[in-house]
Amino acid sequence: MRLIRCDLYAATLAVPAALALSGGAMAEGDVTISHYFTGELGKAAIDEIAGSFADSTGYMMKDSPVGHEDFKTDILVRAAGQSLPDVFSYWAGARVQFVVDSNSLTPIDDMWTREGLDDVVAKSLADSATMYNGHRYLVPAGYHYAGMFYNSEVMANAGVTEFPGDWDGFLALCEKLKGMGIAPIALGSKNRWPAQFWFDYLILRTAGPEYRAALMDGSASYEDPEVKNAMAMWKQLVDAGYFVPNANADTWTDASDRVARGEAAMTLMGTWITGYWNGLGLVPGDDYDFFEFPQIAEGVPNAVVGPVDGWVISGNVENQAGAEAWLAYFVKDTDAQAKWASVQGALSGNVNVDPSAYTSVMQKAAAAVAAADAFAFNYDLATPPPVAEVGLSMFAQFMDDPSQVDQILMDTQTGAAAAF
Amino acid sequence: MERSTGYWRVALLALPVTVFAVFIVWPLFSSFYYSFTDWNGFNPDYDFVGFTNYAKIITDKLFLNAVINTVIWMLAAILLPTALGLALALLIDSRVPGGALFKSIFYLPICLSAVVVGQIWIWIYQPDWGLLNTVIAQVTGDHPRYAWLAKPDTALGSVIVAWSWQQTGLSMVIFLAGLTSIPGDLLEVCEIEGANVWQRTRIVVIPLLTPATVVVVALSVINSLKGFDILYIMTGGGPFHSSDTLAMHMYNESFKKYLMGYGSAISVVLFLIALTVIRIYFRELRRVDEIYG
Repeated sequence: MRLIRCDLYAATLAVPAALALSGGAMAEGDVTISHYFTGELGKAAIDEIAGSFADSTGYMMKDSPVGHEDFKTDILVRAAGQSLPDVFSYWAGARVQFVVDSNSLTPIDDMWTREGLDDVVAKSLADSATMYNGHRYLVPAGYHYAGMFYNSEVMANAGVTEFPGDWDGFLALCEKLKGMGIAPIALGSKNRWPAQFWFDYLILRTAGPEYRAALMDGSASYEDPEVKNAMAMWKQLVDAGYFVPNANADTWTDASDRVARGEAAMTLMGTWITGYWNGLGLVPGDDYDFFEFPQIAEGVPNAVVGPVDGWVISGNVENQAGAEAWLAYFVKDTDAQAKWASVQGALSGNVNVDPSAYTSVMQKAAAAVAAADAFAFNYDLATPPPVAEVGLSMFAQFMDDPSQVDQILMDTQTGAAAAF
Repeated sequence: MERSTGYWRVALLALPVTVFAVFIVWPLFSSFYYSFTDWNGFNPDYDFVGFTNYAKIITDKLFLNAVINTVIWMLAAILLPTALGLALALLIDSRVPGGALFKSIFYLPICLSAVVVGQIWIWIYQPDWGLLNTVIAQVTGDHPRYAWLAKPDTALGSVIVAWSWQQTGLSMVIFLAGLTSIPGDLLEVCEIEGANVWQRTRIVVIPLLTPATVVVVALSVINSLKGFDILYIMTGGGPFHSSDTLAMHMYNESFKKYLMGYGSAISVVLFLIALTVIRIYFRELRRVDEIYG
């Protein structure tokens, strides 16, 4: 009996001790890292790059990836517990700004200068995505561009050989496709965010980047004529029956599948769709391609839209030297960047990456970004998270019943003003 | 010997009590604390704002919307599985052919996780090829292509149906256990006295099933208060908040809008509502216990 009791006490002490040891044991050169690249290819690429990084620098990455949507909650919980990893991936723009304003990131100005990143990262990207409150906080892992991706066979069968550069041409294309019994546009707004690209481009192409920036920072109103005009153009498309019905029932992959299967002709989506379609066996350039969102108002600068994925260093970093080494390695090593861009269907922020590493479609996307007057973050990365929540719901509500657009904009303005 | 038993008690209770204190009690008091702050979840610095978050609750239209949805959710989540479970139990107890097989089939959904149940019903509700619209098309000859989960009028109701489908089996099994405790000779006497099936059920069976009903309602109340996962999977509170319950609203405000202080205030209100419901339940339980011994 006594023996059993001793065993029980021993076990009671041993279990927490073992847990503490397993959780706490860490080599001196380890760097803790968390990210949302949990797809099969993305995770494999991270592991491969981490392996090369370890060979090159001696630092080992202790990785704890979390799924894309869950990451948003997970990183918040870790921040609340003051236990952020040394390095984590995050979305450049308003989300990083939010974390910077919360004193939860470490600036990387010294590392940026020491590593000569001014000569590595494209200037437009460096200016828009890495600077917050006058300091550098982020290095870009890769970035995306949102364009009108289409099914080449469907377009060819419809006799479309030239793609529209203006709004009238775009309406004519939609009408032609609809007349042939093909749904012109697929949109999967079940998770709300895919609808944001329509709002982004319509505002940017009609009111311009400056007005859009004012709307994003709260100095303009959702009841302004500029917003009403953009929404009226969007409503024109919905009312004409150019969108596949029940957009709010589909995810972005559902909409992409509709285009891939030829049920719809095109979808406005980021370049990550190329990674998805390539994974389905579609051939870039042959099976699918894209055209730029058409120009609408003359004299408005040509802005393109997309997100930038980046790496940041947490405010409670334990291995700052290792964390900085990872950031520098990831963005500077051209092999790592090419590998990453290929797997993610992304564009590299490193100007030294050979464009031939891209597919023909991605080369075209890179050229579109290079030719643009401005690069704008998509809606939910351009406005603070509490406001983005209000706006994203607006887009879904609009797609459900566009006739209520005035009331929807009024409610959005009330919600956005309260959030600001 | 008594001293040895005491050691055992301490040893065996230490771990569960510690887990309970760390994961239940401490977060509970933390929520109260943070509900009086403007903490955003990221920033270690925050200010005390008194009752500002509670004042905001009063004017928050989305909160009122969530309260209404929570009441609908709780009522439906209690009434539907209870009523359907009772009906199925009575049917199977009447010795219909294949009763044992149907009992297993009806019980099966409770063995599935909410995520699996949610995904099954997402497929059933799919507008183009989902089972529901396909059946409607077969019956009416016209495919409705109705997006049950994407329309604000039907989203919450559609999730309630899925929830009831999962929970009904549990209610049925408890009612079946209750039915075995009803004396057969009592029912025979009723039959000899000329009572028909409906009269026997209404006057004898259902009143004698009161203890089982109390258990079913108790489990339904507790399960409905926990019913966050299936809503999260099937609608995420959408479209545009039409299926937001208080738990979902609290999650969105805390983790999507980064308003952790306000989300904590909502959680406190949710806690008080749950406490009230559970107090009412225990009061009724005592009453039933006094009647049925």
